[in-house]
Amino acid sequence: MIIEILKGNDAKILRHDEKVILALVPNDKLRSTAELLFKAGCYYATGVGVDERLLGVGFSMYHIFNCESEKRYVVLKAVASNLRIPSITPVISGANWAEREAMDMVGIFFDEHPEPLRLILPDDWPEGIHPLRKEFHYNERPPRIEFKPSKKEKKPGVMEVPVGPYHPTLHEPEVFELHVKGEEIVGAVYRGFHVHRGLEKLAEERMTINQIPFLAERICGICGYTHNCAYAQAVEDAAKIEVPERALYIRTILLELERLHSHLLWFGVAFHLLGFDSGFMHTWRIREAFMDLAELLTGNRKTYGMNLIGGVRRDIDEEKKKKVLEIFEKTKKETKEVLDNAAEMKELISRMEGVGVLPKREGREIGVVGPVARASGIDTDVRRDHPYAAYGDLEFKVPVYKEGDVLARFLVRYEETFESFWIIEQALDQLPPGDILSEDYELPEYAVGIGATEAPRGEDVHFVITEGGNKVYRWRPRAPTYNNLPAVPIMLMGEKLADAPIIIASIDPCFSCTDHMVIVDGEKVCRCSLDDYLRRL
Amino acid sequence: MNIIFMAINLAFALLIAPVVDSFEMKIRARLQNRQGPSILQTWWDLIKLFKRPTVEPQDSVKSFYKLAPYVTFTAVLTAYLIVPTLLPSSINFIGDFIVVVYLLGLATLSFVIGAFSSGNAYAQIGSNREVSLFMSEELLLAFIVGTIAVIGKSLSFDQLFPLPLRISSVLALLLLLLVIYVASARLPFDIAEAEPEIIEGPLIEYSGKHLGLLEYSMFLKRLLLYSLLLNFILPVQNPTRLIGYLLGIMILSVIYSTFEAYYGRFRIDQAVKLMKKLSAVALVVWIIALVGW
Repeated sequence: MIIEILKGNDAKILRHDEKVILALVPNDKLRSTAELLFKAGCYYATGVGVDERLLGVGFSMYHIFNCESEKRYVVLKAVASNLRIPSITPVISGANWAEREAMDMVGIFFDEHPEPLRLILPDDWPEGIHPLRKEFHYNERPPRIEFKPSKKEKKPGVMEVPVGPYHPTLHEPEVFELHVKGEEIVGAVYRGFHVHRGLEKLAEERMTINQIPFLAERICGICGYTHNCAYAQAVEDAAKIEVPERALYIRTILLELERLHSHLLWFGVAFHLLGFDSGFMHTWRIREAFMDLAELLTGNRKTYGMNLIGGVRRDIDEEKKKKVLEIFEKTKKETKEVLDNAAEMKELISRMEGVGVLPKREGREIGVVGPVARASGIDTDVRRDHPYAAYGDLEFKVPVYKEGDVLARFLVRYEETFESFWIIEQALDQLPPGDILSEDYELPEYAVGIGATEAPRGEDVHFVITEGGNKVYRWRPRAPTYNNLPAVPIMLMGEKLADAPIIIASIDPCFSCTDHMVIVDGEKVCRCSLDDYLRRL
Repeated sequence: MNIIFMAINLAFALLIAPVVDSFEMKIRARLQNRQGPSILQTWWDLIKLFKRPTVEPQDSVKSFYKLAPYVTFTAVLTAYLIVPTLLPSSINFIGDFIVVVYLLGLATLSFVIGAFSSGNAYAQIGSNREVSLFMSEELLLAFIVGTIAVIGKSLSFDQLFPLPLRISSVLALLLLLLVIYVASARLPFDIAEAEPEIIEGPLIEYSGKHLGLLEYSMFLKRLLLYSLLLNFILPVQNPTRLIGYLLGIMILSVIYSTFEAYYGRFRIDQAVKLMKKLSAVALVVWIIALVGW
């Protein structure tokens, strides 16, 4: 089906196997191909702009689609002619951020993009300097330019309430500008990317393939291991490395352990935002046991540092296996008790029911992932649709709800928590014998690889182009929040201001993961008083 | 002598109100599997705040903004002269019940005006919520005052303390227990302050001494409401009153903080709806009192 669409649009198939189809699409057919793919049930995962001049190609854009029906990722490659590529945002709104990011970072222009504004680069960054071009070095500092913020029009009767950049709900610097009439939200604007860390540049210029897993893990403080896995899988995919089965099972166990602790963390935060601090304290107390478990299995409570390309670094022996099951017996009961009690509290439910609804159609267009998608009736799960690690051998349910409100997201996570217990028990039971690391591989030159995992928050996609030797040419991690955030303004419209925190938190936002890349050193960029600095913001 | 006793009452309130708050914090902490702060923590917090300089926001109406904490504090303190705490002596006159209700209203009003004049968006939303909650709780309070006046056939605390035991008086006191819970801004009714939503709302711009005064008056107001309720129950001229009073405060603290630990926050519309329902109940209780039960 998909291959016919591609061939019908004069696409040149560069790679076609059971996991990925990579096709070079002529520019004039790009938009129609993308539209046909979307109609065939593929949703937009992410887009990557690459400076391929060293390969003799010029600048290119890779649009990655997740085709669940065919259990494949489809990558459309388009090469810029004269730095221009037609935009596909008019037909798939989910491509908006990815294209704007490519505009900022690589300097490709997208024709007919409906909103060609800066996304990632700060406002005082000079025009024409694009950090992800190969001639720009990781330690370069561009000159600062003068910039004046445009004046905002004030609407009568509408109050502007900023949620952020430092707000107790967000825990990370981001801004949601809420326009409020009384208590009702009549408009919401998101402005993010305040904490760009330049990870991609650092990885491409400074690090070797086996160092990047540890950098990838630091993308997120909560779901780091799944980024680590996704990167390893991307390189293994590009280099066709066979990972030992025991290593795959160990990865599964740790991935699910991470989901358990992440979901419990979310429950705690949600309870706190609803004013139910006792629930917050109790869920975090139980979460502590999972951190201890992680320490038992990996040596670290968080940021496990377990993966290398081709396997894992530590084995799980019989004694540890027994200990895990022992702790599980207790924690499972406690988790059930606390979450069930909370689910029975009427005033908590009344604060979540019917609040922050995301309709299925709009969710699909934006390409929301994870619990947010599943709560809106979109049946998607990378673990089931694109089996990785040991998920192909294990049995688990994927909860899907139709309502699309905060309560549905709560319930999806509630059910997933208990599925995770079940998956870990199965994986421990079936743990096959054998090696845990295969080091017998060679990295090919300029091969494309995709690694996808189901993080607690949704689909994680890592895209890698190898350089040969032990380097990568281009690495692009995409965190799940990147796809979920554009849906938040839709959820906020027409709701009460009091519900804004729980709506924002209901997607389990992970802002820093989304803003994965530029250090803005306040002292060097702006030699002015705090007042002047604040005025400039 | 009366004046000396009243001074003792006032000193007791000023000293003990923050301790009651710490005590409640401790109970909540134990319910949440935490250690909790020391019993003097609130005092240390207040002392720290009183040492700090105050900052006035640029957009504020300075006179209102600066005056509000003092008016709030004084209004609550004045009410202590009328409602006895440790010892049963106070100023009494006809209609002092109404005066206490008005003094508490004045405290809330000046608190809200101070927040409004700070010019902060969060403070304005917070004071909006405070006002709507105050309005909805006022109707309920009016019915309760009415019921109590009918039972005691007076509006002076002199004759109202303690209330005779009747069905209507028990019901009225139960309703008063609820109003006190709402008026002392506890979960799920701390909608005006709601830290994760609007960052302490009305208090957001206040700092240092001003913030300390506002918080201090909040603690004093809670203790005052406790004392009011207990006075309706305890015998007036009796040596056991003292023990009963201190024990009563502890029991009320435990009940209230346990409730607080097991509740999430209401949205303002939900809270107002609930208060309307309670007002209807209060109306029925008033009618019961009129019948003479």
